[in-house]
Amino acid sequence: MPYFMGIDIGSGSSKGVITEDGKLLAYNLLPSGVNYRTVSQQLRNELLDKAGLSPEDITYIVATGQGSANVPFSDQQITDIRCCARGINSIFPSVRTVIDVQGQSSQVIRLNEKGQVVNFVISEKCAAGSGRFIDVIANVLQLELEDIGPLSLKSDNPVVFTTACAVFGESEAVSRVSEGIAKEDILAGVHQALAEKLASLVDRVGLEEQCAISGGGGLNIGLIKRLEEKLGVQLLVPPQPQFVTALGAAILAEEVSEAKEPAVTE
Amino acid sequence: MYFTGIDLGSTMTKVVIVNEDQETCSSVIKHTGAEHRRLANKVIEEAMEQANLSFDEISYVIATGYGRINVPFADRQITELTCHARGVYSLFPNVTIAIDIGGQDAKGLRIKNGKLVDFVMSDKCAAGTGRFLEVIADALGLKLEDFGEISLKSTTKVSISSTCTVFAQQEVISRLSEGVPLEDIVAGLHDAIASRVARMVRRLRIEPDVVFTGGVAKNIGVVKALQDSLGCEVLVPEEPLLSGAIGAALLARELTLEALAKGEPIQRGKRRLEEATFFK
Repeated sequence: MPYFMGIDIGSGSSKGVITEDGKLLAYNLLPSGVNYRTVSQQLRNELLDKAGLSPEDITYIVATGQGSANVPFSDQQITDIRCCARGINSIFPSVRTVIDVQGQSSQVIRLNEKGQVVNFVISEKCAAGSGRFIDVIANVLQLELEDIGPLSLKSDNPVVFTTACAVFGESEAVSRVSEGIAKEDILAGVHQALAEKLASLVDRVGLEEQCAISGGGGLNIGLIKRLEEKLGVQLLVPPQPQFVTALGAAILAEEVSEAKEPAVTE
Repeated sequence: MYFTGIDLGSTMTKVVIVNEDQETCSSVIKHTGAEHRRLANKVIEEAMEQANLSFDEISYVIATGYGRINVPFADRQITELTCHARGVYSLFPNVTIAIDIGGQDAKGLRIKNGKLVDFVMSDKCAAGTGRFLEVIADALGLKLEDFGEISLKSTTKVSISSTCTVFAQQEVISRLSEGVPLEDIVAGLHDAIASRVARMVRRLRIEPDVVFTGGVAKNIGVVKALQDSLGCEVLVPEEPLLSGAIGAALLARELTLEALAKGEPIQRGKRRLEEATFFK
């Protein structure tokens, strides 16, 4: 039975999946740390353990993400844009726009019915457009990341941030805290600011229904709600949004190795 | 007669008192912090004490800077651009371009005969402001005031690829963990801020004399990096933090003397030496 592996080395966390016949067999996530080589090897070993396989069992391995060049055992590197599109297509075949919100960048991708990329836009120059903005504020408020989404939904009165800059936003959050403004109102404001930034990216590639969200941002219900309000559509959220790109990498590994499509070297 | 200028910056609060002959009688610089956002009156009181003056002896007070609104003891508010231009001109009469990098913004001013004729400004993003260096110094557990000296030891500058302060902080930590010497990284940070500000200021057409003020001008590493980026000499006042407050004090003097010469009444504020609210 042929098995395939996708490894997605992101700025914050590294994700890996093993597929069997296009079906998810095992998945794993580790913090990326500072040494991508070490983390990619550890990720592979843990994945193989979970699946009960040995390295020889894997037919083909695709690496993706910002650290994809540091995966010594990969057979090929493919951009995360392409992997994300392929991954979301395998989960939601009807999706034509995907908003991928990662720790250090965001991207909006338009794709066709085969999961191929039609158009995309990336925001990676600054923390304002990424999950990082929310991390920074959650840190000021001394909250766990998983709590902030639900808490932000309790707000009726979101704080308006005068800045998109995460550093200045941090100071603004500190000032609001000292003025006694409720945490949920501050959080709702940050989610609103990020949703607006993401919506401006969506405008640039064009919104086509169905629309999905992937990446760590897909775990944040507060962000999803604000984004839905802003875009006026309902977002499809995959069960494990942060694994979409790694899953796409594994599926592309199978397709590439079986020469269903010609190999593309990035 | 004595005249006071107070410059309420995002990071530092500065007060200068001048006399009729435009001589500085006293000057005080304090961290704005949470305390002086409210108690800016304390900074003025300290300056008056230094000069041995009471509030009644101060003829006119001008407030400038980011927090100049809601200052109950000021007679008038004037924007920091106007005050800066006036202050820098008094220190360097041949100034054409003034560059000010503060804690939360960066400005370029084009000055002709002491008057502001054009300006560029950046306050939307922490990159290219003092905050950029502050955040990174904090992450490295270093004192910001040591950055200049540290960077002078550098032999091979590291290029910092991130514009965003948040990402640059992470980049710096990765470089350190790769064993890159600290001085090369710090020199790279100075290059990053200088080239960003230089790119903005170049829109004003650079002509000597170029004067560099604001807290970041105390950093010799940034001064050198800015000279390299602009390709010309950059002059720095002895106390680069004070130019806005000096300008405010000198404008207070001019407005008062003009009114007196014309026999007009002096437009006064509430003149209550009490707490200021930074924002309302």
